Formats: sequence, structure tokens, C-alpha cells
Amino acid sequence: MAPEFPSLEWLQVLQEKLNHDDHYAEVAKNWEGDMVMIVDPQGKVVEQQNFYFDLWHGKCKRVEMNIDLDSQKPAFTLRAPFENYTAILTGKIDPMAALMTNKLHVKGSLAYMMRNVPTVLDFVRCAKEVTGDNI
Amino acid sequence: MQPILKINLTCGKTEPWLIPADWQKQYIGGASLGARILYDSLTRELDPFSPEAPLLFLTGPLTGTLGPSVGRFVVCGKSPLTGIWAESNCGGFWGAELRFAGFDGLWVSGKADHPVYLWLNDSNLEIRDASSLWGMETYDTRDAVKAELETPSAKVLVIGPAGEQGVLYAGMYCDHGRSAGRTGLGAVMGSKNLKAIAVHGTTKPPLADAERYAVIRSQANRELKEDNEAQVLHDLGTSGVADYSEYIGAMPIKYYHRGSFPEVDKISGSTMAETILVGKSACHGCVIACGRVVELEAGKRQKGPEYETVEIFGPNLLHADLNAVTHLGDLCDRYGFDTISAGNTIGLAFHLFENGILTEKDMDGLTLNWGDGKVIELLVHKIGRQEGIGVLLGQGSRLFGRHFGAEEEAVQVNGLEVACHDPRGASGMALSYATSPRGACHNQSDYFFVDWGHNEPVLGIETFDRHGGKEKSANVAIHQNWRTVNNALVMCIFAMVPPETTLELINASCGWNLTLSELLAAGERGWNLKRAINIRMGLTGANDKLPKTLLEPVPDGNSAGFVPDFPAMLESYYEARDWDPKSGKPSPERLNALGMTEVSRDLWG
Repeated sequence: MAPEFPSLEWLQVLQEKLNHDDHYAEVAKNWEGDMVMIVDPQGKVVEQQNFYFDLWHGKCKRVEMNIDLDSQKPAFTLRAPFENYTAILTGKIDPMAALMTNKLHVKGSLAYMMRNVPTVLDFVRCAKEVTGDNI
Repeated sequence: MQPILKINLTCGKTEPWLIPADWQKQYIGGASLGARILYDSLTRELDPFSPEAPLLFLTGPLTGTLGPSVGRFVVCGKSPLTGIWAESNCGGFWGAELRFAGFDGLWVSGKADHPVYLWLNDSNLEIRDASSLWGMETYDTRDAVKAELETPSAKVLVIGPAGEQGVLYAGMYCDHGRSAGRTGLGAVMGSKNLKAIAVHGTTKPPLADAERYAVIRSQANRELKEDNEAQVLHDLGTSGVADYSEYIGAMPIKYYHRGSFPEVDKISGSTMAETILVGKSACHGCVIACGRVVELEAGKRQKGPEYETVEIFGPNLLHADLNAVTHLGDLCDRYGFDTISAGNTIGLAFHLFENGILTEKDMDGLTLNWGDGKVIELLVHKIGRQEGIGVLLGQGSRLFGRHFGAEEEAVQVNGLEVACHDPRGASGMALSYATSPRGACHNQSDYFFVDWGHNEPVLGIETFDRHGGKEKSANVAIHQNWRTVNNALVMCIFAMVPPETTLELINASCGWNLTLSELLAAGERGWNLKRAINIRMGLTGANDKLPKTLLEPVPDGNSAGFVPDFPAMLESYYEARDWDPKSGKPSPERLNALGMTEVSRDLWG
């Protein structure tokens, strides 16, 4: 059964997926930068949660849930309310569409992000595959 | 509304003219209103270079306010490049200044007997001698006019040598390299011996409810600053999307014959931001500031290229040198001609040369090898100076191809060169290009953004698969109607302002109480009016087509093997538009429903 999103289990399963997915390893082989997904309260999520990924050359070296955002400044931040993540992770909305319609906000080097859109999209693919319907 | 100033260059007579109030509500302003004003003048027989040919400079009801990215103006007339309806809008500050001077537009006709420029200073117009400016490049002309007027804050719209010499895609230029680049109206301006128009004003544009307008536009600008797309445009410029465009196979590569360009990173907006970028520039009242300021030489700041220039002089020619592309864009601006049409036509020359249709003898002894920056630059100079093969290249791809018996190889629609959004990567662009009233234009409907995911549910604009077919045809029509509203305002299409906000801005500005559906109907009215103008100038449904290259698959990239199902898409589009499949005319029922009974009578008797 797929891990529930959002949860620590989901985060850990996604790390496993990222570290064993050949396609992600190839697409993200040049990626250097950590990232945090911030889930804003909405629906069943009553408090803000965040999910930290240390991404490096096609691997995910470390994950952590609910890092201190005041002291840690990851290179990239994705931020959206719970239901927008739900729509992305269940395939109801394309990640590019989410970005273009401001359903998902991004902070960090846009130059790096735009240059590495395939990596971002493949990260989302992996996240979708581990999430399944368990939201 | 403020009046329009009619200027006859033959006799020097000027006359303020008030736009009928019902026309404004039906057509809003800008290009749509321009079509209404010029409806009777634009005939099949009209020679765009004759003194009778009109040249209409129009603003919109928001121009000159601090609304979100509304500082633009549009120039309308008959295109010498395409022979049909022409409109080309332009950013910068000139449009806003025109409204500050007390006019919503200038309607120029006639022909001066020697080079002149216009000086409109707070409603006073002078026609001044421009003999000393003739032959001068665009930036120098701008500076020379300002110096002569001793009014540094004057805004000056100019043509370059290309416009004087009749390059069929010559444009008009103002401020920090902002251009009304497409359809060749700069050559029409040149044909009238009109080198420049300087404006200066001190009044505020009228607003029916200034207090309400200020609240709405402040909120709109705040939201725009937070918009993801606006942030990409601000940080990376319009070529910030180059990597993604290449990734999905929507970039013109090797004159639209390939689908992958591994060197895209060398010319992208990201690389520009990390290498030559030293500043950003904005048009009047714009919070996005997508304009680039770059340095190719230490201490020498210049305009950086936008997406279309980067792609058409870059991947289109297999040329991955950002500095060279920047220089080529600057040369085009200085000579005063459109980068898209120029780069496309040069691409055609390379393509024909590779296929043995052109030889070195045809090309003034030059060997055309893809990616050869020196040869590309020589050809740009030849166009600007109208030397040798540059004369033919300056007539655009359709005539260039026709001259060498290869018109079908030209990637153009109705004489206007296709821009840098390949319909094989974003299929909605097939209809955008084929049905645009000014030829293959991406600004009448930048539908690629919808294909990438930018929907507008409140308008009924959904996102379909980027390789979808006829299911998106009605969607394209709605998008065109909405962009026609943008082009009437004249609001920059990069400002992703929610439609409801745009509606509120219009109502507060004009004192109206329009609904969103009424506003969308105004867009549809404008679209159909331009269609009617083109039909009267000889176009039929047979003109709604794509060049053969875009209906053949590319061999590589993420759109390899795909071609849009264009016949089915077009059939469905006609149904959505209620256009007659045989003649291509909008049906009398549709025209009457839009309140266009006079047009219906003209088209159908």
C-alpha cells in the first residue's frame, strides 16, 4: 500500500524511489541543490508541514520532515496548500500547469530551475508514483 | 475618450477627430478600434506605399495609467509585406506620452515632399524638417530628435534606414529598443517621408473612476509581482523559457526541420542572466521588467535580445553564440527591421542553399553553412543597406522563396513569417498561425502558454494535451478572442492578469458596467472585423493553412514524429467560430449576433 501523503513514511519511500530510479538518476545527474516542499494547512492538514530533500547528482542523500525554516535555507522552495499538492500528486494537474497558474510557488534560482525543468518534472513523476491514491 | 489627431502630410493639415462613443464600447480601443476606424479605407486596391494609405497609431483606455503592463500602443494599416490587415503593438513610453499630450491616437495620411518628423508637444503639432536625419540609424535618430527639441523627456518613435528603403518588414522603434516590429509598417512610414514622431505631454489620461481604478491596479500589480511567470520574465527575460521550449520540441531549429538543439543552454535566458546581463528595463508602469540590459564590451550597455530574437538567430540557424545573437538583434534594431522576419528569411536562404536550390552565385559569392555567424551578420548588413541579395531578403520569405521557385519552402502564413513557437511542440499554435488576421503571428494568440498549462477557467479556456487535436479548436478561438481584448487595451500579453481584474480595470477606466462575456464578445467582434477586412482584401478560407514544413514531423526531440491533425482542427475551429467552410466568411447570423450588421451586409450582400 502506498504511504499516505503527507507523512514521514511518504518522505522516506520517496527517498528510496529517487535513489533507485534509473531514469531519475540519468535526468538529474547534474542536479546540485537541496529543496524543501512546504505544505500549507488545508483540508486534513491543520498545521504547516515541510519535507526536506538533499538532492545531489541524481541521488537523494538525506530527507527530513519539518526542518527549521528560520535556520535552514535550502536552495529551492516549493510551496502550496495541501489540495494543490494533492492535485499534482494524483495527476489531476500537470506540474508545469501548477507553476504557470500559481498553484505551486517556487523560490530559488529561476535560472537553475528553468535550465533543469526535466529534472523537476521527473522528481514530480517519482513523487506521483510513490503516492498512488493514498491521499 | 480623448480625440485622435488626423494629420495629412501632403498638405500639412491637422484636425482633431472624435471617435464615436459606440465604437469604443464595441471595440474598446487599440487594434480592434483601429480596425473599425480603418474599415472603409483598407481596400484590395490600396497600395500600402501610396499617399492615401493610412497609418493609425492608437492607444487603449488604460494606456498611460499605472495599470498592470498597459503602457503599450499599436500601429495599424495595410501591410506591404502581406497585403492584408496590419497591426503591430509596441511597449516603451511613447504610447503613454501620446495620451499625456491629449490624444488617444494619430491618424497619418498623405506624403511629405521631403523627409519630416512630427513634434507633438501638449496638443501642439509641428511638422519639422528631417532631411538631416534621413539615413540615420534608429537610436541615433531618437537622440538627435531629442537634442534638436531640447526636450530630453520627449518620447520619440522612429524608423531606421530599412523603413526609408522599403524593407517590407521594417518596423518602428522607441525608447530602450522597443519595437512595433511586425508587418512592415515602418516601411509605410518611410514611404510617407516620415522619419520620426516625437511626443511630450503633461496631462493625465482620463479615468472615469480614478479612485476605484487606483485600488484595483495597485492590487493587480502586487499580485503580478508574485506571479511565477512574471518572476521568470523578470529574472531571466522572455528567453527564460528557451530551455523548456527546446525540451518539448517547440523551438524553431534548423529552419523548423529539427526538434532538438543540445546547445540550447548556451543561448538561454538563464545563461544570459549569468553572463552578460547587467540590468533590466521596463516599459511604462510595468512591474515585470522583462527587458534586458547587457554588456558585450566592458562599460558599453545595450539592449539584450528577447526570446524571438534569440531563437530566430540562434537555434533556427544552428547558431549557439549568445553574444553574436545579441549583436545581430542590435543590428536589426539599428537598421530598423523585424528580427523574426529577417531571421526566418535568412533561415530559408540557408535551407535552400543546403538543398542546392541556391548557389554561391545567388548569394553574392557567400557560402551558407549552418551556424556561420559571420555570414549571418553579412546578410543582416545586406538587408539593412539593401545591397545585393539583401534586396530580395528584405522582401520576406514568401517573395524570396517565390523568386527562387521554392515558395512552398518558406515557413510563413499569408506572407508573415512564422514566429518561434512550433505547432509540432504545442499543437494549438497550428490554428493560431493559420487563422491570425495578420499572418503567422504568436501575439494574436500565444496559445503555446495554454498548451504548457496556463488555463483560464473563468473564460472557459482549458488545457488539453499539447499534442491534442480538434478538441482544442474552440478553446483556441476563445483564447484569440481574449487576446484581441488584450490587443485592444493595449495590454502586454506577458502580464498574466486575471480576466476579472482586467474587466474591473476597464469598467473603472471607462465608466462602464461590462460583464466578462460582453468583454469577450468585444474581442470576438474585433477578431471578426479584421477577418472581414481581410476577406474584402481577397483572402478566403483557402488562406487558412500552414506551410508544408510544419506539417512534416521532425526527426528528433520530444515532439519527434508528431504533426498536428490540422484539417480536423480547422474544421472544428470553423464550427466554433460559425464561419462558412466554403468562403471562410463569418456567418451572417454570427455577425448579426455581434451587432455587426453593416459588416454582414458588406460580406454577404
